[in-house]
Amino acid sequence: MKSKPPNPSNGPSSVKHRPAPGWITKLIEWLCAPHLREEVLGDLHERYALRVERLGEAQARRRYWRDVLAYMRPSIIKRQPTVRRFGQYPNPTTTDMLRNYVKIAFRNLSRNKAYSFINIAGLAVGIAACLLVFLVVQFELSFDNFHTKKDRIYQVVSEFHYGAVSYGEGVPLPVPTALRLDYPQLEKVAAIVAGGGQINIYDSKKQIIEKKFKDEGGVYYAEPQFFAMFDFGLLAGNPQTALSEPNTAILTQETAEKFFGDWKEAIGKTINVGNGKDFYRVTGILKNIPANSDFPLKVVLSYKNFLQGSSNRDDWESVSHNWNCFILLPQNVSPDQFNSWMLAFDKKHKTPYQLSRVRNFIRPLDEVHFDSRFSNFSDHTISPEMIHVLELIGVFLLLVACVNFINLATAQAVNRSREVGVRKALGSNRGQLTSQFLGETTVITIASLFIAVLLAQLTLPFLNQLLHFSLHLSFIDNPTLLLFLAVTAIVVIFLSGFYPAWVLSGFKATLALKSKITAKTIGGISLRRGLVVTQFVIAQVLIIVTVVIVRQMSFFQTKSLGFDKETIVRVPIPNDSISRTKFDLLKTQLVQQSGIENVSFAFRAPADKWTWNTPFRYNRNLKETDFSALLNWADADYFKTFNLPIIEGKAYSASDTVQGYVVNETLVKRLGVKNLRDVIGKEISVWGGMKAPIVGVVKDFHAHSLHGAIPPVLMASRKNNFGLIGVKLQPQNIKGGLASVEKIWTRIFPNYIYEYEFLDKSIARFYEQEEQLSILYKLFSAIAIFISCLGLYGLVSFMAVQRTREVGIRKVLGASVSQIVYLFSKEFTILIGVAFVIAAPVSYYFMQKWLEKFEFRIPLSIGIFLIAIGLSVLIAWITVSYKAVRAALMNPVNSLRSE
Amino acid sequence: MRRSDLGEFEEVVLLAVAVLSPKAYSVVIAEELERETNQTVSTGAVHAALQRLEQKGYLTSYLGEATAERGGRRKRLFTVTALGGRIMSEVHLVRNRMWERIIPTIRLEWS
Repeated sequence: MKSKPPNPSNGPSSVKHRPAPGWITKLIEWLCAPHLREEVLGDLHERYALRVERLGEAQARRRYWRDVLAYMRPSIIKRQPTVRRFGQYPNPTTTDMLRNYVKIAFRNLSRNKAYSFINIAGLAVGIAACLLVFLVVQFELSFDNFHTKKDRIYQVVSEFHYGAVSYGEGVPLPVPTALRLDYPQLEKVAAIVAGGGQINIYDSKKQIIEKKFKDEGGVYYAEPQFFAMFDFGLLAGNPQTALSEPNTAILTQETAEKFFGDWKEAIGKTINVGNGKDFYRVTGILKNIPANSDFPLKVVLSYKNFLQGSSNRDDWESVSHNWNCFILLPQNVSPDQFNSWMLAFDKKHKTPYQLSRVRNFIRPLDEVHFDSRFSNFSDHTISPEMIHVLELIGVFLLLVACVNFINLATAQAVNRSREVGVRKALGSNRGQLTSQFLGETTVITIASLFIAVLLAQLTLPFLNQLLHFSLHLSFIDNPTLLLFLAVTAIVVIFLSGFYPAWVLSGFKATLALKSKITAKTIGGISLRRGLVVTQFVIAQVLIIVTVVIVRQMSFFQTKSLGFDKETIVRVPIPNDSISRTKFDLLKTQLVQQSGIENVSFAFRAPADKWTWNTPFRYNRNLKETDFSALLNWADADYFKTFNLPIIEGKAYSASDTVQGYVVNETLVKRLGVKNLRDVIGKEISVWGGMKAPIVGVVKDFHAHSLHGAIPPVLMASRKNNFGLIGVKLQPQNIKGGLASVEKIWTRIFPNYIYEYEFLDKSIARFYEQEEQLSILYKLFSAIAIFISCLGLYGLVSFMAVQRTREVGIRKVLGASVSQIVYLFSKEFTILIGVAFVIAAPVSYYFMQKWLEKFEFRIPLSIGIFLIAIGLSVLIAWITVSYKAVRAALMNPVNSLRSE
Repeated sequence: MRRSDLGEFEEVVLLAVAVLSPKAYSVVIAEELERETNQTVSTGAVHAALQRLEQKGYLTSYLGEATAERGGRRKRLFTVTALGGRIMSEVHLVRNRMWERIIPTIRLEWS
């Protein structure tokens, strides 16, 4: 026999009942079939008690564990088929009780209408915001995900060394062909180039223009390989050959329908692009490009036509952001490996000088949408940080809503203590009560979920308009949405339901029945305070962010740019040899019109989205400058039209070719010349030609958006590069001026479509993204404030009810209304103050980082933070005082009569 | 002998029930077997054997009284049925017959 001497501390006393250890008992209790439960647990218990006597507690415990594990077998777990006879053992967890729970939940909701409204409204708004954020994030993350060879597609991009290193998504034009020759192991190499121009459809004899279509972008030249690499499907035509011949074109279904009515009609028809000589035969119809693609193709033309017309075919140094090249890496070549090949490739093809200027490397397709160093064809990138910020905001808004719920539910708990007491007295255990209250949360959450979906559906059009998206809320197309909603619901239920349920179910039945449960005994006051602080931290951070963005926006709009932008229209003009002959005519006719003050030909407006940068030679130096200057071609009237002051020398005289240069102050500074006067008369040469002296220095103006610094600027008159006219209208006759510009323009260029844009509008477009941000943040902070205030309102109304008697006594003793309102608002004011202490440094840090992106920015002044706290205190006070005043105005007779 | 109907452990449990009757239930049976064999025997194993034996009709059971050390739970007491008794004696006979056929000299060398 293995037994040891009995445990001396227990003595030889008779065997007693001992509680068996821990959760393992619970487990076996749960696992064991009900009809065996009694005997099995009894056995286990008895055996354990016996062993404690004989072997001591520790040993007994170990054996107990082993015993329990030995019981885990199917014959123990298998339930006996039960036939429930009438009146026999009613099971409290069957439908009767569940029905009761649901009934009570609904009764409670309808009894406390304000409470349920606040809860449901808060949650619904929070979930709706979260849902919209999810849609946006999902959309942004889905860009070009549908290409099956996505993970092997890379874009060849450029790194420029003109002074500082910069990046561009374009590559020199010879790169695609050279890559194909040098690396036959590359499965596919495809060049694609953004082009443009008005599209004309001629009659069958190619004589008369039947239809004209404005250049709305979306015109590209691509090699046929492009469609073998990317999964843009063709409705008609062969993707391998559709673009292999020159003078062929592919249209998307949409464009084909626009041009020819029916896309099936389009095949074989010809289109004319940019009023040039080239006619393109439609050889294929492309499926419409999905919104989540960075290739907004509409018309794709044969790349051969582009190459024939380009003078940069063999130029390894010039790069336009429009000239793109994609490759399909073989499976066994890693991008790093290929990048090392690219180094050798660059060395082989470029002269050392070219090599020092432009380097090429590859980046994966899935960075095209997220790398803000580069742009892309859709001109829309979003940084991963931005996406994280969005996600964070979504989570925060949901959190604020949940916090509300917790606060209100725990505050409300007192009112339900009686019910809990009765239920407990009748035999409910804590688990059942918890599940009952969680069930109520579920009812509320599901109700809010439905309202949230409705709300999201209603607000989605506005969001789409704001972000220029075409998102839609469809559970059929987007099953992940359902999953997201389900997960959100579960998270919300547990986050907001668990704590209140735990508190409620924890009431002692005796105390609850005696109505001895008050807000104090529930405790959690500090928790509620903490939660209110959390809410207001989030709200205040959002307020500060909003104020900063709005301020920065208005700074963008009001800062003087150094040139006139009001009442100036920019009108694009055609620039082909025939059109050029009509330039003088256009100008003389325009200037004669009343309502037009000034007219100037130019390549670009003083500030334009796309710029032309090039290094140049100064003062007959053999070497080009190590920085590049922004090149703008403009006629002599440019300075007058845009009111650009010449501060040294004079503007060049009217001429069609380069006779003299005007530079800006920054350029002089970059040349290292101290005195502006010293540069006058020095020769400048661009691209090894166009030698002419500097005749004047123009005062610095913002030739880029305010995101960046003022660049060095080089200007001269060159007719061949004029692309627009800037028309200064008389402020008092803008309408008349505009009308005459259109009339004269269309008379002189009858084959072209007239377009115009006010300069201040085109400049405002630089800040589109910030503008969108500012609206989004306004919305987010409004939501956060709204939800927080709902919560605050709920809390205060609860407090008012709780303290009715106290208020009555105070009033009887002579307290004034304002003193009582102060009593209510004091605590919340302190809480908001605490929230501010947390919110201020956090938002300071982030906004400082955001502002650092801009060369010209507002300072983060104290005023911004004061606005934030002032606003939140004000809003909170308004919320609080409504209830507080009502409580204070109540007649003490009513509140005290109950005593 | 119908070997498949009575496992070795089942046989011992059946014997134990017979020995401890009328106060045979899983705890005392397990304790008894532990004492006899010097092996730890879990109640679970005994319980399973009892369940099987009852299914085969060798045992019958009823719920007995509750005791404090069981946490107020009743115990299931087992008694051997007539069939059980017959099987037991059958097994016993087989064993005995075989024992008697062992040659004594060899038997001595074992111990």
